[in-house]
Amino acid sequence: MSNFNAPPPATAPMPPATEPQKVYFLNLPCPIPYEEIHREALMSLKPEVFEGLRFDFAKGLNQKFSLSHSVIMGPTEIPSQSSDIVKIPTANYEFGANFLDPKLMLIGRVLTDGRLSARIKCDLTENLTVKGNAQLTSEPHMSHGLINFDYKGKDYRTQVQLGNGALVGASYIQSVTPHLSLGGEVFWAGQHRKSGIGYAARYNTDKMVATGQVASTGMVALSYVQKVSEKVSLASDFMYNYMSRDVTASVGYDYILRQCRLRGKIDSNGVVASLLEERLTMGLTLLLSAEIDHWKKDYKFGFGLTLGE
Amino acid sequence: MASKFSLKLGKVKARKKSAVTAEDDERSTIAAATKCVTEWTAWGLQKGKVITHYGFIPLIIIIGMKSEPRPSLAQLLSPV
Repeated sequence: MSNFNAPPPATAPMPPATEPQKVYFLNLPCPIPYEEIHREALMSLKPEVFEGLRFDFAKGLNQKFSLSHSVIMGPTEIPSQSSDIVKIPTANYEFGANFLDPKLMLIGRVLTDGRLSARIKCDLTENLTVKGNAQLTSEPHMSHGLINFDYKGKDYRTQVQLGNGALVGASYIQSVTPHLSLGGEVFWAGQHRKSGIGYAARYNTDKMVATGQVASTGMVALSYVQKVSEKVSLASDFMYNYMSRDVTASVGYDYILRQCRLRGKIDSNGVVASLLEERLTMGLTLLLSAEIDHWKKDYKFGFGLTLGE
Repeated sequence: MASKFSLKLGKVKARKKSAVTAEDDERSTIAAATKCVTEWTAWGLQKGKVITHYGFIPLIIIIGMKSEPRPSLAQLLSPV
């Protein structure tokens, strides 16, 4: 009697059942800084759209030191009383100098009308960092400055912020599990006599990031980013202000391909925006940007070229 | 007697007044000191702002030109 052939055994061995990884609560990763909690969502949903022509030339003199020359020509919006959008054409040349060291970073940009924008970041010790940011103009009372002291602990970060106009703020964020981090912030603005407190939570895995933020100024912001593959991420965002009853929802995408990066979003305010950065050859990048606001009938198109790394 | 009483009252009142004016004096010196401090910090911040406005980019250029490997002046000024 012929034996029934037993079905051939599976050629691949059975993968061992993976046990759930034990969480060592004393060994949690360091969380993302509080102000970057929406970082992945903002990369897709707030691309740096511009209007007009933009030409950048970055010249590196050294590993650490580089100069940049930019020409920007385009209409600039000026705030107007009526609901019409008023734009006046402006042309600016911007000179910039960057010094980037592992411990010290200095970035300065100056425009032809005398406006300086300066950023400093200095690592005083391994865990303590001082950051400063300033926008200075010749007009009185139009300059802003901000200085931050950050301390990074094993699984937490704290930050103290001082700004002009008697602005004082502090924030704290802590990793609670390997995927979840919770944080809070408090600020007091002396000049505007306002103070506020806010909380944020961020849950991230390799494939997705979900964040939520609530503030006493009335803002509730939720966002969700899904990394569909190495090249594609999709993001969505919901912002609600319970004081002014203002709601905005947006959905966006970010394609990082070999030669280009394409980001776009569509909004519940009727705004569709998109930004393409294409690397034509080594050192030459083409920028195309578009933002169409259907309700306000505001159309912004920009193109630009970037030379240099 | 009445005059003595009134004299004594006068003295007590004078002492009280002098005590009160001493407190007032103290308060006014503290107020003057804080006013002085705020005026000088405002002056300092104003001068600091002007110095930063004009000197920040030259500072970055000086620090960059001193870093290794030293770039030359021709490299700094040429457009290529």
